[in-house]
Amino acid sequence: MIFIAILIGCILGAILGLNAPMISYTYSSYLAIAIIAALDSVFGGIASVIKKNFDLKIFISGFFGNAILAILLTILGQKLNVDIYLAAIIVFVWRMFMNLGTIRRYYVEKWSDIIKEKASKRNKQEEQEEK
Amino acid sequence: MTNKKAISIILGVMCFALTLGIFVQVRTIRNTDSTISQNQEANELRDEILKYKERYDNKFKELEQAEEQLEQEREKATQNDTELEQAQQKITEGNKITGMTEVTGPGVTITLTDGKGIATSTLNPSDLIVHDLDVLSVINELINAGAEAISINDQRWVLTTAISCRGNTIDINGQRIGAPFVIKAIGLPEYLAGLERVGGYLEYMKQDGVGVKLEKSNNITIPKYSGVINFEYLKNVEE
Repeated sequence: MIFIAILIGCILGAILGLNAPMISYTYSSYLAIAIIAALDSVFGGIASVIKKNFDLKIFISGFFGNAILAILLTILGQKLNVDIYLAAIIVFVWRMFMNLGTIRRYYVEKWSDIIKEKASKRNKQEEQEEK
Repeated sequence: MTNKKAISIILGVMCFALTLGIFVQVRTIRNTDSTISQNQEANELRDEILKYKERYDNKFKELEQAEEQLEQEREKATQNDTELEQAQQKITEGNKITGMTEVTGPGVTITLTDGKGIATSTLNPSDLIVHDLDVLSVINELINAGAEAISINDQRWVLTTAISCRGNTIDINGQRIGAPFVIKAIGLPEYLAGLERVGGYLEYMKQDGVGVKLEKSNNITIPKYSGVINFEYLKNVEE
């Protein structure tokens, strides 16, 4: 159910994105930073599902809040002539890697557990056959 | 169950927003077809230029709309007055000749492309390239053959037009233009096609290895001059 919803959302977004009017180049840097922020929230959400402390409200507020905050910081940085967006990108990408690490560790551990179980089962079978 | 439904709907909407953003961004970046330099300063300068170009394009569109509106207003104002109508007709007639309106008619299209020969096989590699003087000579011959309106890569040839060399591009009406050069001319096609005669300039360019193509056509559209003609020192002699 959830995966179907995600798939439909992605396909609809892609179709609309291909046909949507292009935004002006001036605002494309804001959209870029918003995309990075949103991607960070998505990975954060997946990681929190694995950690079993997933909260939908936190997830949604993070998704939109981080994107808006990143855009505002970029605008502020342009006004002050400081590249704040670089800091935002570093933080988001760093967090993305952390979350990806959590996800990777979870799946690798799961996988190695399965392999261990199979190996122990086989050992037991072999012992029984030997008897 | 309702909780799961809500979660899936919200996740779907979020994925929708995310993919929409990514696709729009990718298309925008691809459209600006800019290469990213390693030098940050160069990147910033390029950014600035792209922004100014966008602003210029927007302003240009506004100007075009304003001109259209002016035209409409003028038509409305002169509808019920024969004297004004005649003056209006004079203005449109004058605009047609000076190049301030889009014009159409029979004529020829001449395409000049840089030669594809190997540079070392000719005596002078520079002969393979279309130069500003080549374009100028072709235009001179077109005017000689009775061309009434001429454009080079959609830049209208007007009273104040000058053609000059800018490295590997040429400068027409203050705009940089690169090869291939598409020269459109309105006039009697049979006369204009006389440019292909033996001993003409096109023949001479062909011999040099430059790609030359002349096509007759019954409807050629030539855009209007996008700049402003400003005369400061010109005065009528009083009799």
